[in-house]
Amino acid sequence: MKSLYECTSLNFSYQLDKQTVEALKGVELKVEAGEQLLIMGPSGSGKSTLLNLLGLIEPVQSGEIMFEGQAFSKLSEKEKNHIRRYKIGFIFQSFLLFEVLTAAENVEYFLTRQGLSAGERKKRVAAALDAVGISAQANKRPPEMSGGQRQRVAIARALAKHPAVIIADEPTASLDSKTSRDILEVLQSLRTQGVSVIMSSHDPLAQSYASRIVHIMDGTMQNGKGAGV
Amino acid sequence: MILFILAFRNLFRHFRRTLTLLLTVAMGSGALFLFKGFNTGIMNQYKDNTIHAKTGHGQLNTEGYMNEVYERPWKHWISEPDKIKAELKAIPEVSHVFPRIDFYSVVTNGALNVAAKGTGVDGDEEADFFWTINIVQGETLRNQADGMILGVGMARALKVKPGDSLTLIAQTVAGRANAVDVTVVGVYHTGMKEIDDSTFRIQRKVASELMDTDKVESIAIGLKSDEMWPQFAKTVKAKYPQLDATPFEILDKVYYQNAVDWLGQQFAVIQLIIVFIVTLGITNSFAFSVVERTAEIGNLRANGESAWEITGLLMWEGLLIGVIGSVVGVLVAYLLNVIVIPGGILMPPAPGLTRQFHVKIELQWASAFVACGFGLGATLLATFVASYKRVRIPVGDALRHRS
Repeated sequence: MKSLYECTSLNFSYQLDKQTVEALKGVELKVEAGEQLLIMGPSGSGKSTLLNLLGLIEPVQSGEIMFEGQAFSKLSEKEKNHIRRYKIGFIFQSFLLFEVLTAAENVEYFLTRQGLSAGERKKRVAAALDAVGISAQANKRPPEMSGGQRQRVAIARALAKHPAVIIADEPTASLDSKTSRDILEVLQSLRTQGVSVIMSSHDPLAQSYASRIVHIMDGTMQNGKGAGV
Repeated sequence: MILFILAFRNLFRHFRRTLTLLLTVAMGSGALFLFKGFNTGIMNQYKDNTIHAKTGHGQLNTEGYMNEVYERPWKHWISEPDKIKAELKAIPEVSHVFPRIDFYSVVTNGALNVAAKGTGVDGDEEADFFWTINIVQGETLRNQADGMILGVGMARALKVKPGDSLTLIAQTVAGRANAVDVTVVGVYHTGMKEIDDSTFRIQRKVASELMDTDKVESIAIGLKSDEMWPQFAKTVKAKYPQLDATPFEILDKVYYQNAVDWLGQQFAVIQLIIVFIVTLGITNSFAFSVVERTAEIGNLRANGESAWEITGLLMWEGLLIGVIGSVVGVLVAYLLNVIVIPGGILMPPAPGLTRQFHVKIELQWASAFVACGFGLGATLLATFVASYKRVRIPVGDALRHRS
């Protein structure tokens, strides 16, 4: 398998009031294309920080992240935006959907920004909504939907971009167990479409849906360098 | 298209806030539109007062006459005025021609003497054109052979009213003393003290006899429309090289042009103040809206939108608020003018004047576009200012934001 990500000696700290908090300490991680990686750890362990670094949400402070052969620390803002737009799909715990747009319009929005034709957008929107099993709700707006349905729309939105990787930060945290299972099944089904998924969770249920699991504690990988289960 | 849809629907996200924004823009644009109309009304009133009470659209004098001081000015007056009058009337732009003789005279009622400036005019013709002269007693000068109209201050000083007789004593062009009797037919009140206190008008024929001359000092011109002066002046220059044509705004610079310049400057300042207030109001409301959407901005950034692209998206909302608010403001201002203040506004005497006057608010299409343009510009500026910093915060900070 080809390496999608290679993280070496990754450190990250931030200021909390007047204290410096070391969120990541010397993280080494390799993610192969097509993997479904689950990052597990308790709250405050550094899961979200790691995902944010992998998703170009936070800047690399020290160490390096290689993504498809490109070093994150050397990218210009324009190059970062290009990767964010075409290569990475995000799923957030709080969905972050446009409340004033319908499910279909939410999925279509970032495709418009990718410069796709109307016909191509329509095709991708239909396929993505179908893949997450929410075609019937295409014309509903988020406030008219349940949490599970909203998260499916968020997954469809990420999927429709045809990204190299989908990064999901605690995608089931605000959902009940039945809905969580449904969402994890949807994410697992993406593997058949060749989409890599990197997900963080402290939900034990998520373990059975991942192809590899890494544990993080106090900003340090627990299974050794680049280790998996 | 989806950008427009998103921007449009975002307007209804917090309808009350959007309504506040729309009202702010509407009030600003409406106020600008009304104020511009008010200003145009005042300027047109000044223009009409100058053209239709004093100078006409302009005046002809012999070449260089206006810029020189002569010991015997009548030597430089216009000869054969009636022949020139007939020729000038044949020029397509001309509607009226008024030969005039200006002279200084002592006016006496037998007991009191007042020094005043008289003008000999063709009464009947001038009466139709000079309709803003504001006769407050009696009637205007028409075909009364020995008729005289005079300023209200002068009438008061001489204690005369329509029907009373006065004697004018002046020096002929040959230097002899001469006198004529006239009858007061009307009293005018221009509102300008120096004119009301020391001017009068009589028939040109009487002034000619008094001055003992066939010449006239000037020929005032009435045109078919206010914009025709440049063309008329060109024709005059070609046909009468011995005459100078001076437009009313130069003849009456102190009263008309200075007032127009002053009002224009005042309008510019008030315009700036309105735009500033509107911009400030909108920036404040819009800033709230943008802060609330910080996480949404983070999501957009995380998905590859640049800060400028997000600014563009927010500017769409500003554009919609600006367009809708401005158009509503202008329409409401128009209706207000038509329904509530159709007769205009009664103004106190302006600086240098002694009478009140009605100003009609003259709304114009061009002003509507200017008002909308300012409303829209202020909204876009406010949107830009409110969003500039917010869309540039680090993506992670934006995503962590909780409104």
